[in-house]
Amino acid sequence: MSSADPASPALALSVRGLVAGYSEQPVVDGVDVDVPVGRVVAVAGPNGAGKSTLLKAILGIARLLGGTVHLEGRNVTGLPLQKLARLGIGYVPQVEEVFESLRVGENLEMGGYLCGKRERAHRMERTLGVFPQLRPMLQRYVETLSGGERKMTAIARVLMLDPRVLILDEPTASLSPEMSRIVLHEQVRALGTIGKSVLLVEQKAIAALEVSDWAYLMVRGRVVMSAPAPEILHDPRMREVFLGGAVAELAEQAR
Amino acid sequence: MSLLIDAIGFGIASGAVLALGAVGFTVQFGISSILNITYGSLMTLAAYFGLLLVGAGLSIWLALAVGALMVGLISVVFHRVLLGPMVKRGIRPFGLIVVTVACGIVLQYIVVAVVGPTAQSYGNVSGATLRFLGMTFTTAQLVIIAITASLMLALHLLLTRTKLGRAMRATSANRTLAQSCGIATDRISDVAWLISGSLCGAAGVALAITVATFDFTLGSVFLVPMIAAAVLGGVGQPYGAMLGGLVVGISTQVAGALWNPAYQDVIALVILIAMLLLRPRGFFGAAWSSRRLLA
Repeated sequence: MSSADPASPALALSVRGLVAGYSEQPVVDGVDVDVPVGRVVAVAGPNGAGKSTLLKAILGIARLLGGTVHLEGRNVTGLPLQKLARLGIGYVPQVEEVFESLRVGENLEMGGYLCGKRERAHRMERTLGVFPQLRPMLQRYVETLSGGERKMTAIARVLMLDPRVLILDEPTASLSPEMSRIVLHEQVRALGTIGKSVLLVEQKAIAALEVSDWAYLMVRGRVVMSAPAPEILHDPRMREVFLGGAVAELAEQAR
Repeated sequence: MSLLIDAIGFGIASGAVLALGAVGFTVQFGISSILNITYGSLMTLAAYFGLLLVGAGLSIWLALAVGALMVGLISVVFHRVLLGPMVKRGIRPFGLIVVTVACGIVLQYIVVAVVGPTAQSYGNVSGATLRFLGMTFTTAQLVIIAITASLMLALHLLLTRTKLGRAMRATSANRTLAQSCGIATDRISDVAWLISGSLCGAAGVALAITVATFDFTLGSVFLVPMIAAAVLGGVGQPYGAMLGGLVVGISTQVAGALWNPAYQDVIALVILIAMLLLRPRGFFGAAWSSRRLLA
């Protein structure tokens, strides 16, 4: 898949040779990632593999040292986050993914900041259709919510932007296994079915593979494996390589 | 007893000025995480702008409005050209405070170089004296209280009822996330510095009106009780700063009346220290944090 032309309109997001980091020592070292239109693509890997930095570099938050980023065939390398939002990229960070001191309804309003009043009301209804549980919580301050409700608010907020490409950084971090399942299987999968292209970073590799079309394994700043997610899940040998590599790396880090 | 009630009245009047200044100060911290000590000298500058405008024939209240706006614009430029770029280049908070202290001193010397060290006055602008619930107010004091109350209400409505105000709170709460929503956070910062700088200017002219005569140290002397008011309310929380202004204003005036007016600033600081010992995060602490508007 990484041999495709980055300017191809079939690719919602295409990253080539990305090098990034906070200093001269790159945390991400020459990574290629493609997200075809309407697909969910997962990047798995152990802690410290550079997954979050990869996302932040794509989004213009972390310092980009090299490589290119194309959005629907258009070169968007190094554009600031607020421009990328205008171009249709939505982002849910791993932590601080909501406006803590704002109400749930105000969080959603900020998600729809770029559109007019009428369009925003329309999107609000549509988003509350996807997350009906949020309706009775609209007046509540986010800091009074549970972890799962927070995550739901964060994903609802990003849907208000009506992005074509969604970048999710560990949406299940700090959630219970049960809540993680709900977030991935119901919320993230739902994004794919409504036509969003999703780039998902997850440490919980099996759970992420179950809802993804394609998966990359990242270790120490490099992509070491790239394959269709169902293939990895169903081929015991590949599964062992994919997850085993991560486990071995984790074991090495723990030492 | 009447001495006490009079002191409360005067405390409300000086509390109104403190609140005006403290809210602007706290909004700057909330939106940019900058403790802007230059604020005091900018208040002084506003007072002299007021003098200039009154000299040019404007009424004192029009001079207050124009002087406030001028300092608001200067504050935007100050943040855009100096403080903002320093923050973007990763200056440490302590370094930034030192910069604002230095700028405050430089500005104060510029003021004294231009206008000289002698005390100035707007002339007799206090107007007729009115009695209200046993307290005595001058017309000017009542107008200042009314101006403060309406500006605070306007700020409240802006922050809670308008998209711009919510974007200010969102930027203050989480700048990166705000950018990911497409919010132009730099422009939001400009608006916040225009508003807070104008509050600074309004407080400067209002202070000069209430103290009758003033010189180039006007704002820097006022900085101490004003920061006390802002910290009491929890820095970054406008409602806290409003209440903090009133508490500091009334308690210093009452204590001054009962004891010795010379100790007013000392009393403000003692209240501050005692309060922070009991409630390290300001009046409302964590319980209030769900309703906080900024920070």
